[in-house]
Amino acid sequence: MSIRFPLLLGAFILIAGLGLSMMLADYHLRLLNLAVISAIAVIGLNFAFGYAGLISLGHAAFVGAGAYGVALLTTLLAWSPWLALPAAVAGTALLAMLIGVPLLRLKGHYLALATLGFNVCFSIVAANWIEVTGGTNGISRIPELQIAGHALGNERSYLWFALVVLAASATVAALIHASRHGRAMIAVRDDETASSMTGIDVPRAKLAAFLLSSVYAAVAGGLFACHMRFISPEDFNYAHSITYLAMLVVGGEGSIVGAILGALLVTFLPEWLRFLGSAYLAFFGLFVLAILIFLPSGLAGIRRPASFSRDGRIKTLALVGASREARQ
Amino acid sequence: MSLLQATEVAKRYGGLAALSDVDLSVGEGEFVAVIGPNGAGKSTLLNVLTGLVLPDGGRVLLDGWDMTRAATHKRVRGGLGRTFQHGRPFARLSVLENVMTGAAIQSGRSELDLRERAMAVLDQMGLAADAQAPIESLSYGHRRMVEMCRALACEPRVLLLDEPAAGLNSAEVDQLVDRLTELRGKHRIAIVLIEHNMGMVMRLAERIMVLNFGCKIAEGTPSEIQSDPAVLSAYLGEGYRHAGV
Repeated sequence: MSIRFPLLLGAFILIAGLGLSMMLADYHLRLLNLAVISAIAVIGLNFAFGYAGLISLGHAAFVGAGAYGVALLTTLLAWSPWLALPAAVAGTALLAMLIGVPLLRLKGHYLALATLGFNVCFSIVAANWIEVTGGTNGISRIPELQIAGHALGNERSYLWFALVVLAASATVAALIHASRHGRAMIAVRDDETASSMTGIDVPRAKLAAFLLSSVYAAVAGGLFACHMRFISPEDFNYAHSITYLAMLVVGGEGSIVGAILGALLVTFLPEWLRFLGSAYLAFFGLFVLAILIFLPSGLAGIRRPASFSRDGRIKTLALVGASREARQ
Repeated sequence: MSLLQATEVAKRYGGLAALSDVDLSVGEGEFVAVIGPNGAGKSTLLNVLTGLVLPDGGRVLLDGWDMTRAATHKRVRGGLGRTFQHGRPFARLSVLENVMTGAAIQSGRSELDLRERAMAVLDQMGLAADAQAPIESLSYGHRRMVEMCRALACEPRVLLLDEPAAGLNSAEVDQLVDRLTELRGKHRIAIVLIEHNMGMVMRLAERIMVLNFGCKIAEGTPSEIQSDPAVLSAYLGEGYRHAGV
């Protein structure tokens, strides 16, 4: 893969998004905003899960850390959101480093459980540290983003901004994928012993993937806070982590295009299938099952050999089951 | 002074002594074979040399550097390479990408540089035509060659080969012997070979070390080993002398 693919990907996101933003009505624009923000988080999760094979069930906590960072800095300290965003991302990366160093010594299901525990801890702290986080009432009156004195007050203008961030995120992710760092992460997932025998520092490659995933999550969280202008602990509980994972699996783990497609589809599907009522969850479960069986490398796998991610099939079945339970 | 030196290496698993006080020394550009029956400790020795298993006693030096407790990737960066018993290429990367991972051993190389180095190695080992192929489309023998290319791209000074001929047909074995001979001629890489294919061992090795139950029972030139009574009874079998492999 040359540098052409990352740039084309970014350009395509901008053009397709711009087109959609002109056609859709306000309500759907709002959904599209949420899908774009989720897509950034899922591209991040792809580093950890798709490339390095780290099953993280705590991704929503990092999204939350970014969101709470922005919310606290702008409301308590009255920082500009433009200053608060990078600060929150840096803070989240630091948090990911602190918990990543001990947790990444765990493998497979143990890591999944530990990250899940981290997510639950995050929710408990956010809900009970009332003086700072406002508890379950959350934080409101987060200031809106302004560009050159122009407030990004409506859904359409915010979407344009979010699309630029998504395009940049996807381009950077594609560049990393095609670099030695991307190959090192993929190698680590394939075979840790053979990776170290190829000169790859395995713990470092894992930590890098984990940090990258948290940085993307924090960016998504910051955008979420500025978009909703109100956040509460519920927005970042572990069920959301499982949803991010479902998005990645449906779209195609290991694929940036897949991460975006998965985020769009899983965000819009409930709207398109609203007529199903409460049967929706059953349908969603069957839908994901069908994808896992017939398209084991996700939607993005339609143009790739299906056998690319065979090994992910059985693990993810269990996760999708958990996803359904968590949503109920 | 020897390039790779292991002194009095010992490793126990519970009550089983996988290695007891084994010495191994490999000079620059030398070809040493380690043979012995299954379970003799050959793979454990390679694991100790590469740091996948830490020894209970003894020391391992690479060009004077004590790496007994060093992490595997640091040993590789110091010039140690290895292939695995059944071949372990990265299944989700293409042939070229596999070898590029090895070439990235030195930081600061551009993508173009990595690609060119990887292509050069593939070319040399006769795999250039398969560069873009996914691993799973390759035959078993080719997969093992990809792994060998990946190890070579790390520019090792000592290459440890764990049964590279296992599962190859005789034409492939001949080809492998040719490539290894060529490699040594060109790059002066020292090679430690673990192998059950005695024809290959006797053709290539300058020195042979024989392990049995974790102990070194003999060491010498191929002709010395072939007539050593301890080796004949422990491994080669009394018939070997007459069969003339």
